[in-house]
Amino acid sequence: MDRSEIQKRVTSVVASVLGIDPAEVLPASNFVFDLGADSLKSVELVAGFEEAFDIDMDADKAREVQTVEGAVDFIAQYVK
Amino acid sequence: MPSPTQAQIAQLAAQGCTAEDWSSVSLDGRADLTRLRNAHFRGVVSVGANDAAVSVDGLDLPCGIYDAIVSDCAIGAQVRIARVGSVVARYDIGDGTVIQDVAALTADAGSTFGAGTEVETVNEGGGRVVRLVPELSAQSAYLQVFRGHSEDLRRALARMVDNAVTTARRERGVVGANARVLHCGVIRNVLIGPHAVVRGTALLDTGTILSCAEHPTVVGEAVQARHFIVAEGASVTGGALLEKAFVGQACRIDKQFSAESSLFFANCEGFHGEAVSIFAGPFTVTHHKSTLLIAAGFSFYNAGSGTNQSNHMYKLGPVHQGVFERGTKTGSFSYVLHETHVGPFSVIIGKHYTNINTPDLPFAYIHESEGQSAIIPGMNLLSVGTVRDGEKWPRRDGRRATVRRDLISFGVFTPFTVEKMRAGRAVLLRLHESTPKDKASVQYGGVFIKRLLLRKCARYYAQGVTRYLNGKVLERIQASSSETSWDGVQKALRPGAMLRDPFSWTDVGGLLMPVERLQALEDEIIAGSVGSLQELGDRLSVIAGEFAQDEWSYVCAAFALENGYAPDAMSREQAQEMLAAYDEATGALHSAIVDDSKKEFAAFARIGFGLGMTEDERTAEFTAVRGSTETNSVVQKLMQEKVALAERSERLAQLLSRF
Repeated sequence: MDRSEIQKRVTSVVASVLGIDPAEVLPASNFVFDLGADSLKSVELVAGFEEAFDIDMDADKAREVQTVEGAVDFIAQYVK
Repeated sequence: MPSPTQAQIAQLAAQGCTAEDWSSVSLDGRADLTRLRNAHFRGVVSVGANDAAVSVDGLDLPCGIYDAIVSDCAIGAQVRIARVGSVVARYDIGDGTVIQDVAALTADAGSTFGAGTEVETVNEGGGRVVRLVPELSAQSAYLQVFRGHSEDLRRALARMVDNAVTTARRERGVVGANARVLHCGVIRNVLIGPHAVVRGTALLDTGTILSCAEHPTVVGEAVQARHFIVAEGASVTGGALLEKAFVGQACRIDKQFSAESSLFFANCEGFHGEAVSIFAGPFTVTHHKSTLLIAAGFSFYNAGSGTNQSNHMYKLGPVHQGVFERGTKTGSFSYVLHETHVGPFSVIIGKHYTNINTPDLPFAYIHESEGQSAIIPGMNLLSVGTVRDGEKWPRRDGRRATVRRDLISFGVFTPFTVEKMRAGRAVLLRLHESTPKDKASVQYGGVFIKRLLLRKCARYYAQGVTRYLNGKVLERIQASSSETSWDGVQKALRPGAMLRDPFSWTDVGGLLMPVERLQALEDEIIAGSVGSLQELGDRLSVIAGEFAQDEWSYVCAAFALENGYAPDAMSREQAQEMLAAYDEATGALHSAIVDDSKKEFAAFARIGFGLGMTEDERTAEFTAVRGSTETNSVVQKLMQEKVALAERSERLAQLLSRF
């Protein structure tokens, strides 16, 4: 899966879970400060990424991801 | 004791004393007559030695009777009675007591002093009545409140209570030795235990204040209480209002709290708010204004400010009820509509107009999402708050009386909660299997669960189960480190006396036990072999003492189901796999808890800091007030535990490699 496809799916999951317009989901967007993800939504986001990419993410490391771009980089490690 | 001589009567009369009949007054040989002034004796009165002094408000004042009418009383040695507004009547007054500035202290013949008062707990519409008795414990009350399915049991329990009420009936009241009754309004039909401090009460009508030297009870300023029992070491003060209430050992009721038809067991705290028809198991706490706790059973419960519950649908009356299992918290201005049954260690945030029924989804966050009630099962497993709660309760057990009536199981992770996690995991996986991917959420127990969370939350439960079960087995392996062969270790892992059904556990008013032990106890009660509340308490203590063996019985059975082999049939290789699984589950949960604790130091936690300051100054100010992750004791303890867990795991791996 190439990076643009990962980016597309990440954007879709983020928009769906947080209930926002996909256009608002920018690579530099911070999940907490820019997109309003609280701790409960963060759990849902991780679950959404796992389902969208059919992966099991390392929960410890996943919690360190702060931005959309960071999520793309992190997920890229699994899908490659 | 002899009656006063004519010379003594003349002396007493000169000091303003009178008697209805001096021959009915008897004086101890060491009674100092100069210490009886303006004392008026009616009926049969005996007066003990009074040559000592007693301490009142920091002053040593002489014993004796001053400005008081005393009627039909037996007054012990070294007692001070002074300035009684109307009369002290029909009381046995223990040695060393002080009764001063009291409007009236009277008892009616045949009073039961609050015993027998019917308290309509949990269901305001009735049907769950507990009758107050001094021997009441969280467990004996639980049986009366929540085990009404058996008429035979109800009758047998009623007989026990009848006997206790009969025993409580007295012809006269008692003020126990060394009690202080100071600056009070009317006190009528109240038994006052030894060393109790009753100070500044507005009205006490028909009750018992149990007290002891080890833990004196305080009933204080402006309290109005009718039909009540307050147990040893409790403090009821600050204008609290009690009506048909039991306040258990080491409870604190203060700051104008109002309680009606409610039971509070050991270590409960109620300030400011209101309770109606509640069964407050041990460690139920409500500190803030505008809380209304109504028609529900709790234990280890923390109610945030403005917590509100309702039990009335304006149809058949206030007949609905709630059960918040142990460890539940309700957030500020949360609202719950009964009927409700919430699983243990759940957090309820927001307002909920649906009937929540989630006992098999423990450690859950129940919150509002887009106007609906939603749940995130297992989320509280990742909360540092749960860890802190588990540690604080044993430390906060304030009971100092030699007899502790309420039996309390403190653990957070026990067969009771772990079996609920196993059940919850099964529920979530079943829902995950049956819910199509185009559905955003699924409804269960009156609340919504996001479909995406089903598998994730099932994993939290799985980690919790593995951490507990494997951890318990590893504890035993560690304890058998002196064994020289794997066979020896396997012997140490054998189950003891197995329960018939090791999976079914219940929480009996704060005491966890297998359901079959409760049922056996109930059979004994019905058969009459447990025939009194004392015997019931003794049997419950035995059950409490069997917890460790019952827990191991559960661990063996659940471990076998989880892994396909019992602990004592485990090979060395399987033991190593079990250790790896334990490390993984424990590590994942522990890391999440550490991260949760660090959130308290994240940017959002600093919003109110550094007013008018630069960013650097804001950080410095925050650190000065709140500290940092490097200095916070909870975070540091968690970090140290992480290291300790790794070291323990290493030792266990070495131990296993020996065989």
